[in-house]
Amino acid sequence: MLGRFEYARPKTVDEACRLLAEAGRDAAILSGGTDLLVDLRNGSRSPLLLVDVKRLEELQALRTGPDEAVIGAAVPLNVVVEHRELRKAYAGLSDAALSIATYQLRNRATVAGNLCNASPAADMAPILLVLDAKLTVQSPQGTRAVRVAKLFTGVKRTCLAPGDVVVDVRMPPLDGELRTAFRKQQRIRGHDLAVVNAAAAYAPSRATLRVAVGSCAPTPVLLEPFDTKGTSPEALAAEVLRAAAAATAPIDDVRASAAYRRAVLPALLRRLLADVVSARRAV
Amino acid sequence: MTRALVYVGKSVPRDDAVEKVTGSARYTHDLAFPGMLHAALVTSPHASARIVRVDVADAAALPGVRAVLAGANLDVRLGLYMRDKRILARDVVRYQGEPVVAVAADTLDIARDACRRVRVEYEPTAAVFDPRDAMKSGAPLVHPDLGSYAHLEGVFFPRPNTNIAHHQKIRKGDFDAAIASAEVLLEARFDNPPVQHVPMETHASIAQALPDGRVEIWTSSQSPYTVRHLMSVAFGLPHAAIRVHVPYVGGGFGGKAGLNLEPLVYVLSKAAGGRPVKFVATREQEFNTLPSRQGLHSTIKIGATRAGKIVALKATYVWDAGAYADYGVNVGRAAAYSGAGPYAVPNCWIDSFVVYTNKVYGTAYRGFGHLEVLWGIERAIDQTARKLGLDPAEFRRRNLLTLGDATITGETFTAGHGKPVECLDAVAKAIDWGTPSSSPASSTKRRGKGIAMLHKAPAMPTSTSCSAIIKLDEDGAADILVSGVDYGQGTYTVLRQIAAEELRVPIDAVHINSDCDTAFTPYDWQTVASRFSYMGGHAVIEAAADCLRQIRAVAAQIFGVAPEKIVCENASAYPDGEPKRAIPYRLLALGYVYPNGNAIGGPVIGHGRFIAHGLTHLDPDTGQGRPAQFWTYGAHGVELEVDAETGEIEILRIATAVDAGKVLNAGLARGQVIGGVVQGIGSALWEGFRFDKEGRLKNPSFVDYKIPTAKDLPREMVPILLENPQPDGPYGARGVAEHPMISVPSAIGNALYDALGIEFTSLPLSPEHVLARLAEKGVKP
Amino acid sequence: MVDIELRVNGQAERASVPAGMTLLEFLRDRLALTGAKEGCGIGECGACTVLLDGRPVTACLVLAVEADGLDVRTIEGEATDGELSALQRAFVDAGAVQCGFCTPGMIMSARALLLRSPHPTDEEIVEAIAGNLCRCTGYEAILAAIRAASEEGGKL
Repeated sequence: MLGRFEYARPKTVDEACRLLAEAGRDAAILSGGTDLLVDLRNGSRSPLLLVDVKRLEELQALRTGPDEAVIGAAVPLNVVVEHRELRKAYAGLSDAALSIATYQLRNRATVAGNLCNASPAADMAPILLVLDAKLTVQSPQGTRAVRVAKLFTGVKRTCLAPGDVVVDVRMPPLDGELRTAFRKQQRIRGHDLAVVNAAAAYAPSRATLRVAVGSCAPTPVLLEPFDTKGTSPEALAAEVLRAAAAATAPIDDVRASAAYRRAVLPALLRRLLADVVSARRAV
Repeated sequence: MTRALVYVGKSVPRDDAVEKVTGSARYTHDLAFPGMLHAALVTSPHASARIVRVDVADAAALPGVRAVLAGANLDVRLGLYMRDKRILARDVVRYQGEPVVAVAADTLDIARDACRRVRVEYEPTAAVFDPRDAMKSGAPLVHPDLGSYAHLEGVFFPRPNTNIAHHQKIRKGDFDAAIASAEVLLEARFDNPPVQHVPMETHASIAQALPDGRVEIWTSSQSPYTVRHLMSVAFGLPHAAIRVHVPYVGGGFGGKAGLNLEPLVYVLSKAAGGRPVKFVATREQEFNTLPSRQGLHSTIKIGATRAGKIVALKATYVWDAGAYADYGVNVGRAAAYSGAGPYAVPNCWIDSFVVYTNKVYGTAYRGFGHLEVLWGIERAIDQTARKLGLDPAEFRRRNLLTLGDATITGETFTAGHGKPVECLDAVAKAIDWGTPSSSPASSTKRRGKGIAMLHKAPAMPTSTSCSAIIKLDEDGAADILVSGVDYGQGTYTVLRQIAAEELRVPIDAVHINSDCDTAFTPYDWQTVASRFSYMGGHAVIEAAADCLRQIRAVAAQIFGVAPEKIVCENASAYPDGEPKRAIPYRLLALGYVYPNGNAIGGPVIGHGRFIAHGLTHLDPDTGQGRPAQFWTYGAHGVELEVDAETGEIEILRIATAVDAGKVLNAGLARGQVIGGVVQGIGSALWEGFRFDKEGRLKNPSFVDYKIPTAKDLPREMVPILLENPQPDGPYGARGVAEHPMISVPSAIGNALYDALGIEFTSLPLSPEHVLARLAEKGVKP
Repeated sequence: MVDIELRVNGQAERASVPAGMTLLEFLRDRLALTGAKEGCGIGECGACTVLLDGRPVTACLVLAVEADGLDVRTIEGEATDGELSALQRAFVDAGAVQCGFCTPGMIMSARALLLRSPHPTDEEIVEAIAGNLCRCTGYEAILAAIRAASEEGGKL
């Protein structure tokens, strides 16, 4: 048994928001449950109410189109991974989703859940940062958009408040070609949390490159955009590495030492850039 | 005349597979009984502390709680070779994770709630975490009472008032003189961290204390009779008062040998008025509370001639026993008598110290210390070869044990030992040794090849024995009863093959009990040390012969010929040369009935037994003697690729040769090799306990203790089983179960040197470790 | 307590369960379907894998109440009328079983794979079972068994 709590499965987002707002810090949103249920088991969280949002109609969207791409907050990662159009448009997003945990867990875990858990190592964070994705957040006060770039406020902390329900994650419209990629360094090939992860989005027509790095600071870090016009791949790589080193502050933990993270980050970034800039996957 | 074998050697599918693929196989985890209580533990947050006060009042008051016990209630010491362990910590705690208080309650949730209400006051005391520090004078004593502990006398030599639980000496020849004469010298140090067995079924036990003083136990164990015996010793109960059932066991690898949770659930059941009590370790407890594999620090010195012959070898092995050494002392002993590798070493000096520290304790783990000592030896052999300018395979060929050589304990190497050099040659050929690796696809990668030898003998008491019973059924089929445990190896299938072969019945007509029950299945010491097929095989052969003797006696009477003129074939008996007159076993199995109703004979029940023979204790001062019933030799060849930018290693191919003597079941033997190799890769590349400064285990879960998954396999695995017969083995067989795991890290380490030119001395060879050494050496990708 | 209704191996089940009860506890303790095993309790080992509406999940990380109205398939539903499925037969024949504790979860992961991809590539097979830890076999025989079963993909 994972503790004593009440369980509610509201029929609408409004109802979910109300339940969550009423219960405040005593409630938790149950979506995929792959982080929450582990926390319940080890006692690190003990909410009195779980609000199951998994079946809410509004959270099931999954579409790509000329205007935007939408991933409902309750869509399991495997469904995201298996979505062909999404992969065509955002290969890095599909790869990031695929890198998470195991096939079984990806049938439960969601993109929104991975973000809201706010682990510094969250695999969905770097790619959604470089895509400048936004969360649609509904609360008793109404609906608002929250940029992923504004979401993380600390280790396991977000700007979301009790009563907030993430409805979906939206990627801005594709304006010309966009090449995206995700890379993750782990201890073993089997399922693992990221020692370091990173994502890149490169828009050749606008000569813009965006890069984000995870697991190297209290929150995932989005680097300032890079202007690639007239820059050689080598010079660009050097610039990205410099910026990444300056913007991150890895720590020692059981997964890796700060030194290893610092040592492996340049290789990871170089490979990531090769993925998007040369459009040819490196090793 | 020898008959062609019908079943032995064939890939007969395992007999329990259908139960296991349908989910109907019952493990201790799955068992429940009416009125059964569930147990939970309060464990120590400190690595070393005095227990000042234990307050269980709030816990005991919780509705549904039926028993709460602390160490103060239990004045019992437990252990197989060294009685140094408590059921629950008493007065002091010696490692973080040690059980302090146990609760039995109506449900697991209540038991866990109750545990949260237990208040224990500790006074932290000085701890020692590195066994080398623990050997220094003035080190905190983990067991101040060591001098008073009962232990196996004449075999183990604890040093009172130190942390040394056992000191094993091996002395052969004149090391000092020989090393002085050596033309080439090598000295090196190596380290292994403690690791976990990680059986998929964690430890689980159920006990019921019966009103008449008897106790019934169901347990996930490798050792039904050893559990019974040690329970008897611990609680002063007659053996017959203790009944131990072992249903299916979800993996053991040594971690479920000896005595584990059985005493705990027994005392809880007693305290709870005799209701059955079940305890299942959580995965975190499996890592943090239950035993692991000891760490090791090795110092090795090798002296050789310019011609490439080893003249002297000295090794100091310091084992990190953790807080208890009840089993670990024997690891330190066994690994010492194997501690020079499978080489002819004329002058040898080995000190093996099993040393207490304030960490989770060690026990047997597949390979029993040999993976650890051979990590050092086989890396040192490679280094010595390079100093000599010799190919490491060639250097090994010049020094491997051959006919007439003496081992370091003075045993003569004979043809019956098998052929280590054939193992070496087989793996060398399989990895194209001598041919450089092809170029990797990426410029940041490096490739290399490495070879390592392995050897091991069963580590067991000199009088280890086992037995088997075969009963014939009404339909003439045979039932085998044994108390060795098949916790995955497939030995039961092998025993069925042997019985079918010997009894001359179809394999489908041979059955074996999948549950051991000390009330009904006959004695077996315990299922460890790769000796079950060897010893159990002998016992089954003898039991089958006993059945045939009984069948022949009845048939002889029926046919009016001498018993030795009776032929048993096709599940029937007939006079030699007259197969048409055959009487099927089913008409003899319970006794033969003549047409007039007269009956002769009676139920056919055969029994067989086997006892280790010719073994001696090792001389306390020199280690000379005969410790081994048989030796199994083998080798690995590895080709790998390492990413110089990330430190990741990929095994391109690994060839493993083991001299099995005789392969009894090709499919099962292959399964042991592949499974062992992958487990060895786990030890080589990823696995190892990490402790913080206070001695707390930092990675007690699958989140941070990684074992190989299906994504982590080598690109190619090549098992090679040689068949140079063991003269006293069943059909010439010797044990092969542990061996494939041994020396996998060594071969990988040697290949890594070949790839990078860096000597790795400690495990695991994780990406982080590899990259750190590359950085230290200034190697640029 | 929460009232739930679900189908388990084709059988309708109705129960009242505490919200904190996992699907694994429900299957094992309430329905006595002990084929799914608890190997870690945190979704890392796959020993408790069952199919939820045809998709494999670790039942230790699903609440029983979350299965309300859904279809659950466990190892106990794999054989029909006492006949092993082709997949189970392949596990037996390939020597893919040793201690057997991981086997039910492993087969359920493989079953789900063959449902969505009757003729999977090796890469797909590895991805499908990488979340099922096995300490005995070294996986080789398991991969061979799934490959063999997939060759008979038509007759699941």
